[in-house]
Amino acid sequence: MRGQDHPGMKRFRLSVAGALLGGMLVFACGAIYAQNAPQIVPRVTGAAAPMGDVRTPPLARPIVDDKRVMRNYPEQPPIIPHSIENYQLTLKTNRCLDCHRRQYTEGSGAPMISVTHFMDRDGQVLADVTPRRYFCTACHVQQTDARPLVPSTFKDMLLVGSGKK
Amino acid sequence: MQRIKSFLIWFWQIASRPSAHLSLGFLALGGFVCGVLFWGAFNTALEITNTEKFCTSCHEMHNNVFQELQHTPHFSNRSGVRASCPDCHVPHNWTDKIARKMQASKEVWGKIFGTIDTRQKFQDMRLELAKHEWARLKANDSLECRNCHSAVAMDFTKQTRRASEIHARFLVTGERTCIDCHKGIAHELPDMTGVEPGWQAPPELRDRQSFRENPRDELVRYLASTGAER
Amino acid sequence: MSLSRRELLKAQAAAVAAAAAGMTVPAVAQPVAGGVGSLEIKWSKAPCRFCGTGCGVMVGVKEGKVVATHGDTLAEVNRGLNCIKGYFLSKIMYGGDRLTTPLLRKKGGVFDKSGELTPVSWDEAFDVMAARAKAVLKENGPTAIGMLGSGQWTAYEGYAATKLMRAGFRSNNLDPNARHCMASAAYAFMRTFGMDEPMGCYDDFEAADAFVLWGSNMAEMHPILWTRLTDRRLSHPHVKVAVLSTFTHRSSDLADIPIVFKPGTDLAILNYIANHIISTGRANQDFVKNHTAFVKGTVDIGYGLRPDHPLEVKAKGAATAGATQPIDFDAYAAFVKDYTLEKVSELTGVERGFLQELAELYADPKRKVMSLWTMGFNQHVRGVWANQLVYNLHLLTGKISEPGNSPFSLTGQPSACGTAREVGTFAHRLPADMTVTNPEHRKRTEEIWRVPHGIIPDKPGYHAVEQDRMLRDGKLNFYWIQVNNNLQAAPNSSRETYPGYRNPDNFIVVSDAYPTVTAMAADLVLPAAMWVEKEGMYGNAERRTHVWRQLVNAPGDARSDLWQMMEFSKRFTTDEVWPAQVLADNPNYRGRTLFDALFRNGMVDKFATTEIPVEYENSEAKAFGFYVQKGLFEEYAEFGRGHGHDLAPFDTYHEVRGLRWPVVNGKETKWRYREGLDPYVKPGKGIDFYGQPDGRARIIAVPYEPPAESPDKEYDIWLVTGRVLEHWHSGSMTMRVPELYKAFPGARVFMHAEDARSRGINQGAEVRVVSRRGEIRTRVDTKGRNRMPRGVVFVPWFDASQLINKATLDATDPISKQADFKKCAVKIILV
Repeated sequence: MRGQDHPGMKRFRLSVAGALLGGMLVFACGAIYAQNAPQIVPRVTGAAAPMGDVRTPPLARPIVDDKRVMRNYPEQPPIIPHSIENYQLTLKTNRCLDCHRRQYTEGSGAPMISVTHFMDRDGQVLADVTPRRYFCTACHVQQTDARPLVPSTFKDMLLVGSGKK
Repeated sequence: MQRIKSFLIWFWQIASRPSAHLSLGFLALGGFVCGVLFWGAFNTALEITNTEKFCTSCHEMHNNVFQELQHTPHFSNRSGVRASCPDCHVPHNWTDKIARKMQASKEVWGKIFGTIDTRQKFQDMRLELAKHEWARLKANDSLECRNCHSAVAMDFTKQTRRASEIHARFLVTGERTCIDCHKGIAHELPDMTGVEPGWQAPPELRDRQSFRENPRDELVRYLASTGAER
Repeated sequence: MSLSRRELLKAQAAAVAAAAAGMTVPAVAQPVAGGVGSLEIKWSKAPCRFCGTGCGVMVGVKEGKVVATHGDTLAEVNRGLNCIKGYFLSKIMYGGDRLTTPLLRKKGGVFDKSGELTPVSWDEAFDVMAARAKAVLKENGPTAIGMLGSGQWTAYEGYAATKLMRAGFRSNNLDPNARHCMASAAYAFMRTFGMDEPMGCYDDFEAADAFVLWGSNMAEMHPILWTRLTDRRLSHPHVKVAVLSTFTHRSSDLADIPIVFKPGTDLAILNYIANHIISTGRANQDFVKNHTAFVKGTVDIGYGLRPDHPLEVKAKGAATAGATQPIDFDAYAAFVKDYTLEKVSELTGVERGFLQELAELYADPKRKVMSLWTMGFNQHVRGVWANQLVYNLHLLTGKISEPGNSPFSLTGQPSACGTAREVGTFAHRLPADMTVTNPEHRKRTEEIWRVPHGIIPDKPGYHAVEQDRMLRDGKLNFYWIQVNNNLQAAPNSSRETYPGYRNPDNFIVVSDAYPTVTAMAADLVLPAAMWVEKEGMYGNAERRTHVWRQLVNAPGDARSDLWQMMEFSKRFTTDEVWPAQVLADNPNYRGRTLFDALFRNGMVDKFATTEIPVEYENSEAKAFGFYVQKGLFEEYAEFGRGHGHDLAPFDTYHEVRGLRWPVVNGKETKWRYREGLDPYVKPGKGIDFYGQPDGRARIIAVPYEPPAESPDKEYDIWLVTGRVLEHWHSGSMTMRVPELYKAFPGARVFMHAEDARSRGINQGAEVRVVSRRGEIRTRVDTKGRNRMPRGVVFVPWFDASQLINKATLDATDPISKQADFKKCAVKIILV
């Protein structure tokens, strides 16, 4: 491909690069500005007019597309990719386990609760889910279609330092 | 007992004797009008008792099941079409409806004697009450669900993939009925110990043992079911 | 990606060699580009940054970045578990808008209160800040200087703050945001037992036969303690759980006895239970006779509003709110006799059967009961009473200070106990439960601090709510806020908090890691290091002291609060801030900087930086040339050793997952006040509440009194505020973690469906929540996790775009001065 470039293309590419660089500069300035200007994300910094009112966006909708999402690190509890509206999770019944219990996964096709969920407080493996992990929603949550307010600079453990060397 | 018997005999004697004073036309017409009035009144009464307002006029219904209903899609949803108590709990066709209404006389009894007049008592009775409704819907193939939710009218492309797969596999084939899986969709569930997920194959068709019950109970039930077939 | 055979062999050989040398190498299923070294993560222990549960976490660091966290299996508190927030700790420091440089309001290149926040150097920031502080000191004296800290400060930071404020600037106007959180609990401990903090510990969870949650929603707010409670309940069928609240929530899902009562009427339920215990003859007479004393509290004590408020003028007992008079058992029994089942059921709206079942949990001598509470009791205009009334039940039955029998006050901040209470950052307190009003206590403190006598002022300073009022009134003019977001957290904020920050007479400094609402309203913003970006120490709700190392460096110019305070102290000399008489009597203190007088005092600077393991950074040690944290620890530890607050040797804490004080002879104390369990109880005593001079805990007779504001025709519905599982407090950390934000992306008003329909409001509709003081716009949720009764709405306060505290009332408990965030009247109007 490289051999097929002609001069005009090169000039074009240069100007694209220039535009990109300019764009990045504007973006970077914007980002610095954003740090100092409260009006950018009222949900974390408050309204533009301090103590003022902000129009409330509609309640975000849960994502229910059943797609598995990569975990940020192996120890992270996976998020719930399906609807749990009205799922009863009480002393009387646990709707989550109706599908995710080991003995039901064959019929439900749901992932089985992980092996750690069988261990009691002393690390002993039990025959069924340990009571201390009975309330699934303490660790597993749904995601909504809301867009993150501020970007996260968290780096994946496999990418940290990979730029070096 | 004797007095009732003599009263009945007296009544029959009067009723069976031809009228000496009134014309046949009057009697026929009068009977017809009375019939219409009675029927109208009966039906009106039936209709009144067939509303959410009537159902929730008892605090037992209002403070327990009606409160729970309010968090569910059958109370509020995207299109605003909603189900009220009788939509799910009273059959639409006449004979079944009358039969259900006659059963309801027991509920009047319960109301008078305060069988579930506190939350505590209601919670204690909950499993039994729920079992009645599950059994009824299981027996009529979830008729009240199907009054609104027709299996064949479901657009699988509008359902989540998981839901459409399960419906295709269990509902359309008639292998299961709505209530098998959709328990507790309008009210909180009772203690579900021993109640298996709806999509589980019935114990008698399973090559492995049930996971929630004592294997011996299962055997007893299996024997009972085969015995009944013979 | 395929490795050559040669490389593969090399990698294997390295693994074999490492194994032979006794090194551990992560097991790899397949060869990795860059070698196995690239897979290694350095793991270190730390306590969680969020609530007062105090879970242990393992923090994984790679190339100077935190890349993973998980529950510490060796931590006794959580044994490997975390809640959803804890599992995402790795991301809290990496919000894209971290503050990395000081920001000063400037116009035309100089400081101007009406200017824009502009990046400046630390030098310029401190120059302007010191000049303002000196001007205020000169004009209005030390009482015009104040500081609002936090139960999120490390104990070292809280200790340095109390020293800097009281001995440095000679102002007691130091209060933690814990005033909004557990002041009521702390006052009740002091009034009942003469000593702060619980007698029991989390081990009670595995020993109790019944749990009673008084207004607490542990399932969402203390999820890991909830796992221990759930474990106990589900594993042992005889165990019962009672959940009392003003609405139904996730904790109610485990309740055998679910109780929803009318706001404020919990006081009546508590007195009914006492009545039930006595009238059924199940008071533990022996225990009551030997270990308790009865008192009667002042009544009609007002609501802690501004003194000219009609409610305060009317309140007869407001001036003597904290006073008590001795009575006897019979008088007490006669007092609670009024609280009959019928009357209390009527007042609270709770079914009689549930009340009886609840009372039986306490009355039954065979049942071990653990009572648990947090903000439901503490954020209550009668919060101190509520706390004390629950102690009454445990004292009447003798169900206290032994495994499973435990009245337990939970905390909401990671170091509410360790920092706010133990090191003495409340406006009236000194380290180790001492107070500024006691001359003996001041003297002892001055000795340990190595400062001249007469330095610590004897009058309690302004508490958090009063600080706001004084800022507004122009009596407090220099104000430093660290690790908290008070403009979002304080009650009635539009009228009582914000005006003070923008009052032209005042200079407001905010130290924070992120641009919060409070930071954005400040005149000077100082970028702060957070959590494992500094070495720290936290104390959780069960008296557990837990330390951690600095694991990564803070971004840009961000510095720890400890560094900020110590560095700032260099800009003042004793001649500028101490009275001439004191300096005349102690000439050797003349001309020294506050840094020298307070931190280079021969104790704080005693330990060399070489004591820090080489594999860990320590920014403060690097900056000041000595092991600051160890020095502060050792000086602070002098207060408690031999006085019931003994700490273990400093280095021990870096090896273990925290220890519960008092640590005597290397052993922690799980249960206090009982012989055999507490080393401070002398043999033969059995039980000794040694915090009280007579060794007796107090049982108090106080009545039900109504809330400060109740719904009426116009403002027709109760407003309750609080938290949700996914966000912690004002959300400044959790709202920046994408997964947590997306799980609960904004506040809403939880409301009963019939209340909504009767007002013509749809599920999800935009509404205004309006009180007499302020309003917010939000969305209605009638189906969410909180199931409201009619007449009550709930709004969480984590969302900076919905500052619900504009609507709340600044009424406080008149004794603890803690605001009531749970009860005020609002109306809901469709937008």
